[in-house]
Amino acid sequence: MNLKKLTFFFIIYSIWSINAFAQRVVNGTVKDQNGAPLMGVAVSDKNGAATQTNGNGEFKISVADNATLYFSYLGFKVQTMSVKGNSKIEVTLLEDTKLLESVVVIGYGVQKKSDLTGAVSTLNSKAYKDQPVLNVSAALQGRVAGVSVTNNSGAPGGQTKIRIRGANSVNNNNSPLYVVDGVALTSLDLQDINVNDIESMELLKDASATAVYGSRGANGVIIVTTKKGVAGKNKISYNAFVSSNKAMEKYDLMDAVTYAEQANLRTGLSVFPNPAQFAGKSTDWQNLLFDNATTQSHQLSLSGGAEKAKYFVSANYIDQNGLLINTNQEKYGLRSNLDFKINEKLSFGLNVVAQRTNSKNNGDLGYKGNPVMAGITWAPTEKVYDDEATGAYNRNAISPIWLNPYMTLKESEGRNFSNAGIFNGRIKYDFTDWLSLSVNAGLDALISKSASLRNKWMNPTNMGSSQGLSEAYTFQNSNVLTFHKNFNQKHDLTATALAENTSSTFTNFAANGSNLSSTSNGYYNLGLNGSQSISSGYSKNTLLSFMGRVAYSFNNKYLATASLRRDGSSKFQGSNKWGNFPSFSLGWKLSEEQFIKDIKFISELKLRGGWGEIGNQGINAYSTLGLLNPVLYSFGTLSHTQGYTAGSPATPDVKWETTKQIDLGIDLGLFGNRITIVADYYNKNTDNLLLFTKIDNYDGGGSLLKNIGKVNNKGFEFAIDAKAITADNFSWNTGFNIAFNKNKVVSLGKDNMVFRAKTGSGLINTEIQTVKVGEPLGAFYLIPWQGIYSQDDATLGYKAGDNRYTDVSGNNSIGYEDRVISGSATPKVQLGFNNNFTYKAFELNVFFQGSFGNKIFNATYASTAVPTSDVAYPTLQETVNYWTPQNRGAVWANPASKTNRNYVESTQFLQDGSYVRLKNVSLSYSVPQTLIKKLSSIKITASAQNYLTFTKYKGFDPEATSTPAASDADAGIDLGAYPSPKTLTLGLGVNF
Amino acid sequence: MKKYILILIVALTAATSCKKSFLEEDPKGSILPKTFYKNGNDLNQAMTGIAFTFNGAWNQTGGMSITFGADDITTFRGGNKISFSDFDTFQANSSNDRMAVWWNNFYKTIKSSNALIINYPNATDATAAERDNAAGLALFYRATCYFFLTRSWGSVPLITEPVIVADRPNSTPDKVYELIVADLKKAETMLPDSWTGVKIQNGVNIFPTAGSAKAMLASVYLTMAGWPLKQADKYALAATKAKEVIDNKAKYKIDLMGSFADIFAKEGKFNKEAVFGCYYNNNAPGGVWENGSQMGPPNFMPGEEGGWDEAFGEISFYNNFPAGPRKDATYRKTYYLGNDVSKPVDYTGLLRKHPYFTKYNDDISYNQTNHSMSDWWGSHTVFILRYADVLLTYAEAKAMSTGADITAYDAVNAVRGRAGLGPLTPALSPTAFRDAVIEERGWEFAGCEPAARWFDLIRTETVGKATLNRHASEEPLKAVPNDATHTSYWAPLPIVR
Repeated sequence: MNLKKLTFFFIIYSIWSINAFAQRVVNGTVKDQNGAPLMGVAVSDKNGAATQTNGNGEFKISVADNATLYFSYLGFKVQTMSVKGNSKIEVTLLEDTKLLESVVVIGYGVQKKSDLTGAVSTLNSKAYKDQPVLNVSAALQGRVAGVSVTNNSGAPGGQTKIRIRGANSVNNNNSPLYVVDGVALTSLDLQDINVNDIESMELLKDASATAVYGSRGANGVIIVTTKKGVAGKNKISYNAFVSSNKAMEKYDLMDAVTYAEQANLRTGLSVFPNPAQFAGKSTDWQNLLFDNATTQSHQLSLSGGAEKAKYFVSANYIDQNGLLINTNQEKYGLRSNLDFKINEKLSFGLNVVAQRTNSKNNGDLGYKGNPVMAGITWAPTEKVYDDEATGAYNRNAISPIWLNPYMTLKESEGRNFSNAGIFNGRIKYDFTDWLSLSVNAGLDALISKSASLRNKWMNPTNMGSSQGLSEAYTFQNSNVLTFHKNFNQKHDLTATALAENTSSTFTNFAANGSNLSSTSNGYYNLGLNGSQSISSGYSKNTLLSFMGRVAYSFNNKYLATASLRRDGSSKFQGSNKWGNFPSFSLGWKLSEEQFIKDIKFISELKLRGGWGEIGNQGINAYSTLGLLNPVLYSFGTLSHTQGYTAGSPATPDVKWETTKQIDLGIDLGLFGNRITIVADYYNKNTDNLLLFTKIDNYDGGGSLLKNIGKVNNKGFEFAIDAKAITADNFSWNTGFNIAFNKNKVVSLGKDNMVFRAKTGSGLINTEIQTVKVGEPLGAFYLIPWQGIYSQDDATLGYKAGDNRYTDVSGNNSIGYEDRVISGSATPKVQLGFNNNFTYKAFELNVFFQGSFGNKIFNATYASTAVPTSDVAYPTLQETVNYWTPQNRGAVWANPASKTNRNYVESTQFLQDGSYVRLKNVSLSYSVPQTLIKKLSSIKITASAQNYLTFTKYKGFDPEATSTPAASDADAGIDLGAYPSPKTLTLGLGVNF
Repeated sequence: MKKYILILIVALTAATSCKKSFLEEDPKGSILPKTFYKNGNDLNQAMTGIAFTFNGAWNQTGGMSITFGADDITTFRGGNKISFSDFDTFQANSSNDRMAVWWNNFYKTIKSSNALIINYPNATDATAAERDNAAGLALFYRATCYFFLTRSWGSVPLITEPVIVADRPNSTPDKVYELIVADLKKAETMLPDSWTGVKIQNGVNIFPTAGSAKAMLASVYLTMAGWPLKQADKYALAATKAKEVIDNKAKYKIDLMGSFADIFAKEGKFNKEAVFGCYYNNNAPGGVWENGSQMGPPNFMPGEEGGWDEAFGEISFYNNFPAGPRKDATYRKTYYLGNDVSKPVDYTGLLRKHPYFTKYNDDISYNQTNHSMSDWWGSHTVFILRYADVLLTYAEAKAMSTGADITAYDAVNAVRGRAGLGPLTPALSPTAFRDAVIEERGWEFAGCEPAARWFDLIRTETVGKATLNRHASEEPLKAVPNDATHTSYWAPLPIVR
C-alpha cells in the first residue's frame, strides 16, 4: 500500500466518521482516456443537483455526503462515482464505442462496426473540426484511404472530382452515390449539402458493401448522416470563419519590351517598330485579374429535445469571393431535423433542408481563351483602356484573338440563382422487438434560374439578355423490412428486405434575346430584345428496385453477409431493363479466439473478405433511342427556325454495365486500440462498358453507344491511426492513409483504341486523349518531343534550333500519325497525413495531402509558349532562352526559324501532376472557462490552407483541370482551369 | 396502426411496381426517328437541319485552305498560318488541321441528307410536292458535298445510306461523280423553282431551287470534262444545263447584279446573284456557331488594323488583275495603321506587303470609316454559286463543245462588262477562248470564294504552270506540282477520316 492510497483511506475514514449525511462541496476534473480535459460534461446527482465542467474539465457541485455523481457526455459512457469520502474527484470518461464507433450505417440499415464484413470507412466530423471547410469535398480530401478528391475548379462553388477506388467507366459518371439520411441524391450534388450539418460519413468502398445499392453503387457510396438532437441537452452553437484568398502561383511572363522584341524576332518583321518605347509600360494582366478575395462562413445551430421529441435546427451563410475578380457565390441554408417517438412502437422523423445559392460569373471557366488563359497571353504591350477617363476598354489586342480578359471579367453578367430542397420523411414501426418496418419518402429538388446580360463591351453591335429556368426533382420511396434475432446467444441473424422506386424528372426552358435596345433594365426585361428565341427540354428516368440481405454472425466470431438486388431501369429497352446484382462477404473476428486473446498487445483483429457484382446505368435518359439533334437555323435573319439533324443510330441492345469486385481486408487494433490499422486489397473488373464509341467522320462523326470493353482497377489501401503521445498536458494523434490504385483498360471489343473528343480547337488541333487497351483511363496520345535539334536533319527537313520530334510512323514526316501513348491523367497513389497536437488549451493541426503518378496536359502553359491560331506571339518569359548555336542547352526552338514546327499536341506540354500539399495548418485556442462565465466554450482558430505545395507542375495549380469532373477518360487537361487559392483563415466557435 | 402502415406500404409499392409504364421512356421534349419524317413539317425541319449543317463548312476559312495552292491567294509562313501555308507551298500532310473543317462538315451534311433521302417516301402525311422538294434538297446537298470532297481529296468514302460502317474503302472519282450526276438529275426535277415563307428572303431563295441544281450540274459536267475524268462529252451537257438556267433566270429569281461591289455589300446580303449561298446572321439570338460567320471580316484584314492576316492576294496575280470596279471590290486600296484614318497607306506600307481581299469585309461588325472591328464574327453571305459562275460555265462549255458562238461571247462579256472590261477578242479558238474564260473566272472569284481558282487550275492541269509567275517576294515553294503526274493536286486524306 503506497502513501497515496493510505491518505485516501484516511480521508474517507475521517469524513465518514465526522458527518455521514451532510451537504458539501465536491470539486473535481473530468478527462478523456487521453488525459485531455472534457468541457461541458453534465455532472448531476439523483436529487437534482447539476452542473457542467468548464474549459479545463473542472466542476464544483454541492451534494449530499453520500451522493452518487453521474457524469454524462455525448459520445462517452455514463460514469457514476460515489462522492463518499471524496472531496476532490478525478474522473476519466471512456468513449462509448457502442454509441459512436460501433454502429455503422451500411445502407438500408446499421451494423455493429465490429461485425462489418465489407470495406467501410467512417469519417467523423471531428476529424476536420479545425479546418475551415466550405463544402463536403474539402472535408473528405485526404481523410479516407481509397477516396480521392480533387478540386477541379477553384471557382466559388466549383467542381470537385471524387473517386472511390479509381474509375470504372469510360463514358459514364464515375462519381460515387451520395446518400443523405437515406435519400440518394439525384437532382442535387454532394456540394449542395451543408458540411456543417454533417455528423459523420460512411464510405462504402467494396462491392459487398455497395451491392445493396445495386445499379447505383458501382462507384462506391458515401452515406451522409446529418446531426440529430440529443435528449436532455439543449445546445446552441455558433461557428464562423473569415478567409483571405490569394493566388498560389503566377506565371513568369515577359515584360512589354521583351514581348515586342520577341514578336519582331519571330516574324522577322517590325511588328513593333520600337520595342524600347514600352519600357516601364507593361500591363501585368495577372495582377489585374487575380484578386485578394475574402470568404466568410457562418453557422448557427440549435439542438436538443426530450426523449419523445428531438430537434436539430441550423442556419448557415457562406459568402465566397473567387480568386478572379467579379466572381462570387453566396449560400443561405436552413435545416431542420426532427425526430418523434409516438409510442414504443411507432416513431417518425422529418428532415427539411432549404438552400438558396446566388452565383455570379462562376460558370465553367475551363474553356479556351477564358479570362485565365487570356490573362496570361494578352500582350503586355496592350493597355486595359483605350481611354481610361471614359472607361472605354481596349477590347482587342495584337495577340491573342480573345477579348480583353479584364473587361471580360468586369463586364460579364452571368448569374445563377438556385433553390435546393431536400424533404425526407420516415416512419418506423416496430412490430416486435425483432421485426420492424421503415418507410422513407424523400424528395430532392433543384430549381435554378440563370440570367445573363451581354452589354456593349461584350459585344458592341449586338447586346442581348437571356434567362433560363430549370427544375430537377427526384422522388424516392424506400420500404425496408428488418428482422433481427439472436438465437441461443450464438446465432445472430439480421435480414433486410427492400422495395424501392425512384423517379427523376428534369425540365427546363430558356429565352435568349439579342439586339437589345438598352442595358438599363439589365436582364429583367427580355422584351427589349429585338430578336428572341425560346427553347425547352424534358427528361425523365425511373428505377425500380428490390433487395434482400441476410447478415449472420456465429458466436460473435464468424460473420457472413449475403445480398441480392434486382433493378429495373427505364434507360434500357425491353428485357435489358432488368439486372440482378448479388454479393456475399465473410468475416472472422480473430481477436475473439483464445490464441489471439493470449497476445496481450492485440486488442482487435478481424479478417474480412467479400465479393459482389454491381451495375451501372449512368447514361442519360433516352441514350439508346437515337434521338434527332435539334438545331436553330437563322436563314440569315434575326429569328430562328427549328430544324433537326440525324442523330446516332438507336441502340436497343445496350444493357447494364457491370462491375465485379473482390475485397480482402484486415482490421487490427493494438495496445487497447491506441493504434488501429485497416488494410484492404481489392480487384475490380468492370465489364460490358457503356461506351460511346466514336463514329468515323465520314459517317458523320458523333458517337455510338455500345456495351464493349472491360476496365480493371486493383489496389491496396492502408490506414493507420495512432494516439502517439498521451501525456497530461500534451497529446499527439496522428493518422496516415495511403492508397495505390492501378487502373487499366483490359478490352475495347474489336477496337484497340478509341479516341476521345477534341478539345480546345484552335489551340489543340487533334485528339490528344485516347482510351487504349493495356493503358489506364485518361491516357494521353501525343507526338514525342525530344527537345531541340543541335544539327540539321535532312530527312525530316528540320534545321538546328528547331523542335525535334520522333518520327514514330517512319514516314519521314512529323505529323499526328506520330502520336504515341505518353502517360495518363489517372493518379496512381493518393495519401493523407494528419496530425493533431494538443497542449493545454491549444490544439495544432497539420494536414498534408498528396497525389502521385498522373500527368497533366498543360494547354494553358502551351498557349503562352508557342504561336497557335489564337495566340500569335508567346508571352512566357522562359521562351526568351531559345536555342542558338551559342546556347545549345536551350529547350525552346529558335523563333526566327522558317523550318520549325510547333506541335502543341506533343509531349512538350505534358507535365507531371504529382503533388504534396499542406492542405491545412491550424492553431486553435480554447478560452479558459474562468474568462467566459456563462458560455460553455469559446474556441479561436487561426489557420492557413494550401500554403505549401511540392510539385513539378508548371501551371497555377496541379489540382485544377478543365476536363469534366464526372469523366476519367477525358481528364487532366488544363485549358484555362480556374485555380484554387491559398487562404489565411480566422475562425471562431462558441457553444452555449 | 400496424394495419394502416402495412396498407400504406403495399399501396405505395403496388402503385409504382405494378404500373407497367413506370420503366418506359417517353422523351416528350425530343424527336424520335420513328415518329419523324412523317409530315410536311417534319420534312421542313429535316431540310433546315441539312442546310444548317452545310453552313458549318463555310463560316470559316479552314476548308478553303485546300485551295491555297492556286496563284491568286497566299499567306505568310509563320505562327498559326502554317497549315494554310502548307497548302500554299505544296507541303500539306494528313495532319493538316484546317482542311478537316470541310471533311467533317460535308460528311455531317451527307449523313442528314442520307437520312432524309431514305425516309422521305414514308412521309405519307405530307403532300407529294413536299416530299419531292425535301428529297430534292437532300440530293442537292449530298451531291454538292461530294463535288467538293472529290475535287479536294480525289477518292473518298461514298456513303449513300445512314448506316455506320467501320473502315470504309474510298471510292474513285468516277464513282463519286456518277452519284453526283444521278443526285443532281433527280434534284433538278424534284426541287421547286422557288420557295416560300422563311426559305425565301428579300426575293432570294435561301434553299436551293431547281435552278441551283441545274447550275450545280453544269459546273459538275464542266469539271468532269477536265482532269481527272477528262470526259470531253460532258462539255455539251454542261452547256445545255447552264443554258437552261440562263433561259429561266427569272423563274429562279436569279440574275447578274448590276454593280460588282453590290454583291458583297452589307445591304445586299440577300441578292439575286446568288444561285446558291450560305446565309448567316451573327445577331440571331443564342450565339449558335453555324449562324455566325468567321469568313470575315478579320481573316482578310491586316494585323495593323486588328485583323488576323489569314490570307491575302499574291502579288503577280494582283498586278495582272485588270483595273476596274471589280478589282476595287476585290482588293482593298487603303489601309489605316492602327485604325487611324490619318495614317493611310497602300499595301506596300503594311507589314506583310501584300494586298488584302475585301469581299467579306463589309459587315455589321466592321467599321468602314476606320476599318476597325467590333467582333470576330460576322454575318456575310458565302456564295457557293453565283450567276456569273453560270455564265462563265456556259461560255467555256459552249466553246469547248461546239465553238465559241455569239451566246458564249455574250455570256463572258456580260461578266467582263460589269467588271469594266471591254469585250473579249472575237473569233478565238475554243481553247484560247477557254483559257480566257479561266483567267476571267480567276479574277471574278478571287478573294476566297468557293468557286475557287484552285478548282479551275486542277481541272485544266495548270497548277504547276501557274506557279511559274509566282512573285519573288512570295514564300518559296517546297515543291512545284507536276502537271503531268498531278502531284499535290489532291489534298492528303485526313489522318482521322
